[in-house]
Amino acid sequence: MKRVILLCLALLLVQGTAFAADSIKIGLMGPITGPWASEGAEMKQVVQLLAEELNQKGGLLGKKVEVITEDDGGDPRTAALAAQRLATQGVVAVIGTYGSAVTEATQNIYGEAKIIQIANGSTAIRLSEKGLKYFFRTCPRDDEQAKVAAQAIQKMGSKRIAILHDNSTYAKGLADETRGLLEAAKAGEIVFFDALTPKEQDYTTVLTKMKSVQPDIVFFTGYYGEAGLLLKQAKQMNWKVTFMGGDATNNPDIVKTAGKDAAAGFYFVSAPLPKDLPSDEARNFLDTFTKKYGNPPNSIYAALAGDGFRVITQAIAETKSTDPAKLADYLHKDLKDFPGLTGKISFNEKGDRVGEVYRVYRVNDEGQFILQP
Amino acid sequence: MEQFFQQLTNGLAVGSIYALIALGYTMVYGVLKLINFAHSDMFTLGAYLGLTLLTSLALTDHIGPLWGTVVLALMVMGLVAMVGALLDRVAYRPLRESPRLSAVVSALGASIFLQNTVMLIYGARYRVYPHDILPRVALDVFGLQIPLVRILILCASLTMMAMLYIFIQRTRIGTAIRAAAIDQGAARLMGIDVNRVILMVFLVGPALGGAAGLMVGLYYGQINFTMGWGYGLKAFTAAILGGIGNIPGAMLGGVLLGVVESLGAAYLSFAWKDAIAFCVLILILIVRPTGLLGERVAEKV
Repeated sequence: MKRVILLCLALLLVQGTAFAADSIKIGLMGPITGPWASEGAEMKQVVQLLAEELNQKGGLLGKKVEVITEDDGGDPRTAALAAQRLATQGVVAVIGTYGSAVTEATQNIYGEAKIIQIANGSTAIRLSEKGLKYFFRTCPRDDEQAKVAAQAIQKMGSKRIAILHDNSTYAKGLADETRGLLEAAKAGEIVFFDALTPKEQDYTTVLTKMKSVQPDIVFFTGYYGEAGLLLKQAKQMNWKVTFMGGDATNNPDIVKTAGKDAAAGFYFVSAPLPKDLPSDEARNFLDTFTKKYGNPPNSIYAALAGDGFRVITQAIAETKSTDPAKLADYLHKDLKDFPGLTGKISFNEKGDRVGEVYRVYRVNDEGQFILQP
Repeated sequence: MEQFFQQLTNGLAVGSIYALIALGYTMVYGVLKLINFAHSDMFTLGAYLGLTLLTSLALTDHIGPLWGTVVLALMVMGLVAMVGALLDRVAYRPLRESPRLSAVVSALGASIFLQNTVMLIYGARYRVYPHDILPRVALDVFGLQIPLVRILILCASLTMMAMLYIFIQRTRIGTAIRAAAIDQGAARLMGIDVNRVILMVFLVGPALGGAAGLMVGLYYGQINFTMGWGYGLKAFTAAILGGIGNIPGAMLGGVLLGVVESLGAAYLSFAWKDAIAFCVLILILIVRPTGLLGERVAEKV
């Protein structure tokens, strides 16, 4: 009798899982806690909003889309565990994550489990140089960004250039790449090249040192939190120099930290902001996001995570399949100029996004980010 | 030469904050032989409570920036002290008779708990203090540009350290704290209520940590729920550098660490800033294993 009951229970369980498989699962791996928790929270908001919209329109292939969120903590070790958890839950694809080093720790786990990974903020060059079939990213690469940054520095006619990074994979990569390009172009002299320690709040030491070598421009490749403090403390030291940042400084919080007077005149390189895109997709999306959460998204990477979700659901709808090999083929070859939130999206054979280039922005006196021609 | 002095003042400013936080570590260690990992979160809590009180009460509008800040500091210190006492009651007191390791694990747990509580209440984004509370002028001292606020911070932390020193050396309860630090059992035999001493330590230490958090918030403006980690680590290092358990040692260690860091970074390399600071720590510990002012500790058998 006991055996019969056990058998029944087992059958029920099997049926239970079969029932659950009736939805298409998409993983979201993001920094929900840890130093980048604000980006992670927005990534989750964006992807969930898009999934809700999709489900209201009837879902995918007649099934509901279910988003499973795992926290990578902004930390490679936590991320590896998160990736393993997602891999065992039968997700078709994973969106994320933000930091390059964090993504790198999970690439092989997803690759071996044949799960498509679409990173949204990992711009380090080497991530897509490993020949991984299932790896994609909606953000451009650092070499692309360095090119635009170096051009902008040359265009401003700067002769004495200081480059400051924060020793993270991303910031150091961007700094090295930019230095290489500037040296190759023989454009000016690199008078300072060093790293600060992120999350410290006092950067007067490094500013005092930089001031003493008298650069025309300081290119800081780290994140917005530190950039805001650098601007504020430079202002307090009465040091008037042009600051420029990489795309990790693209966040309105930089103006809040620095104050409008100190942030004015700050340049940064970034993928275009949603507000500067003429496409209807972006505008509609911004409206619904603002309506639901009360403010437009702060971080461009949240929008890029949304684009990751949109391309993978597009691929599933077009191929009428959840077979990773078919989906990867579709994304590599057949997806051309897909109207994303951040512009047109196509992928090359490495899984890198092509076509879209970085822009240069400048902060005006009101603290707004103005696209530079 | 001008750069040297400028960097020296930079180092002093950061060092005085390390010193304030280090006092909390060293006092708890002195009495309980426990490293209170949750102390760095008292610092974070001070910064966040300061922001809340500042924006909700608008004291600085009513009674002027200087007195407003003083009242604010007292309120923050009081509140953080209460949280500190509560922390002791909930996380450490039940483990008083257990092995030391249990209390350390409990401290780590409390730290994670507090950090995430702050994140859940205030959110993960950077929060920013209003920009116009304290005057943003820089004083010209012998050709050096030193922001006024920086001088105020240095004075405030030196005053607090001096008051603590007098409190520990000259008052009855201070004497009791010193006695409990030397030998808890003997102190108890002399009629000292050790639990009250420990409560006192958990009121004073967190209050100073909270004050440091408020100062960082007021001066640097940007606060984040993970900010305690970096400062806490440096302050802990400073406490060891000066000789853990020794109060003047924590002050000396903090200031010294700040100065070594900024001079080392300025003249060697910024990317190696922390490495330089920790190398100095290791060198000092090789020469003086008990820290700069630490007394020789005989192993109790």
